[in-house]
Amino acid sequence: MNYGFQFGVVWDNIPELLEGAWLTLQLGCFAFAGGSLIGLLFATIKTYGAWPLRFLVDCYVIFITNTPALIQIYFLYFGLPEVGIRWSNEACLLIGLTMNAGAYLTLILRAGFLSVRVTEIEASQTLGMSLIQQVRYIILPHIAKSIYPALANFFIVVLVMGTSVGALIGVDELTGQAINLSTVNYRWLEYFTVVAGMYVVLTFIASIGLALLGRWAFRVKARIF
Amino acid sequence: MERILEQIPRFFSGPNMTLLLEAAGLTLAMTLTGCLIGFGLAFVLVYLRQTPGMWALPLRWICITYVEVFRRIPFIVVIYLVLFFIQAVTPDASLFTIAVIAICLYAVAYTADIIRGGIESVPITQVEAAQSMNLSRLQTNIRIILPQAWPVIAPPAIAFAVSFIKDTALVSQVGVFELTFRGKELNNQGYSGLLVFGTIALCYFLLSFPLSILGQYLEKRLATPRGERRSRKIRHP
Repeated sequence: MNYGFQFGVVWDNIPELLEGAWLTLQLGCFAFAGGSLIGLLFATIKTYGAWPLRFLVDCYVIFITNTPALIQIYFLYFGLPEVGIRWSNEACLLIGLTMNAGAYLTLILRAGFLSVRVTEIEASQTLGMSLIQQVRYIILPHIAKSIYPALANFFIVVLVMGTSVGALIGVDELTGQAINLSTVNYRWLEYFTVVAGMYVVLTFIASIGLALLGRWAFRVKARIF
Repeated sequence: MERILEQIPRFFSGPNMTLLLEAAGLTLAMTLTGCLIGFGLAFVLVYLRQTPGMWALPLRWICITYVEVFRRIPFIVVIYLVLFFIQAVTPDASLFTIAVIAICLYAVAYTADIIRGGIESVPITQVEAAQSMNLSRLQTNIRIILPQAWPVIAPPAIAFAVSFIKDTALVSQVGVFELTFRGKELNNQGYSGLLVFGTIALCYFLLSFPLSILGQYLEKRLATPRGERRSRKIRHP
């Protein structure tokens, strides 16, 4: 192998890559937050809703979790302009990722709902709590603790696997920036090595942040790796 | 809308469908080959990671670092790294090989943890009994641990392979003729994006859904009675 590595060009463009990393972090956080709202709503419907609603949620979850996120985003990006809906690249990515994360988070949160003990639900019913109050005061604190590791893991998946798809529809997040920059001077290997390193650092920061958050808010002893 | 309706008969013609069928076959073959090789290598990785003794400390560290690093890099970055690295070494490697290597590297990192979990689920008394019968470490692993660990390993490993069918969509970016690539090609030929990507999504669904049902069935078959009793359900009011 006679390939001379030249990392000099990469160091010159570190600010652009850092901008991309910042966008990646933002996109990941927004998609995860939106997905959690969808997941919470749908998991509540799946546990308590009437059967037509449950069936619809089931269909949504099964269809989304069995098709690639890339195709869903392509559908929004290439398909929707034909019926007159034009979103920007970032909006397509964010909406696609939120829908995708929502389906997976429905599954995770539903597992959490099932882990709440019946006696606690009964106790809250005895106290005359409404369904919303039950979810807010009894179930959520409970499942926050029991599914915290799964949630933290899934956040990393969204942050890494999810947002990197954006590079293929022209969003300038970390991978997208790397592709843009390396097409200028063909230093693909160097750029992608550095970007891989940046992803590792980024996710470690996210993991540590999540572990601290978990410890502070839910008293979970989360493992960082 | 009329444009889509008018395109439907032309889109679902024979040649297009054989194209998609071949692409689906390639997607499946790629995932299966990559995951199987990756699964085998993951066993080796876990075996190396559990090597006892001070001298093997760097080895253990390398194995742990590998798993941790590859779980934190997006698949698309791995694909690009493998593509440009392999092409720098041997310029005439086929794109399919490159895709399989990328899948394999990724699958090792993800399945290593699954295998480790399975191996650790075997009671330590079993290992101690094997040691007292003077079985070597390799013999203990193959004859004592694996037969007991595989019901724990198999369901999540199958689930991983099935979910990876979807992630291989990213391989289209380096030009392997799989489903997503064909989808983009058909879209570029002027077929409506809604129609094309809807169909491609359906193809992935048809590949992935039956296999995930199979995985769930296996999980139920292999589950120990202990696992079934674990959680009490919320009663539906």
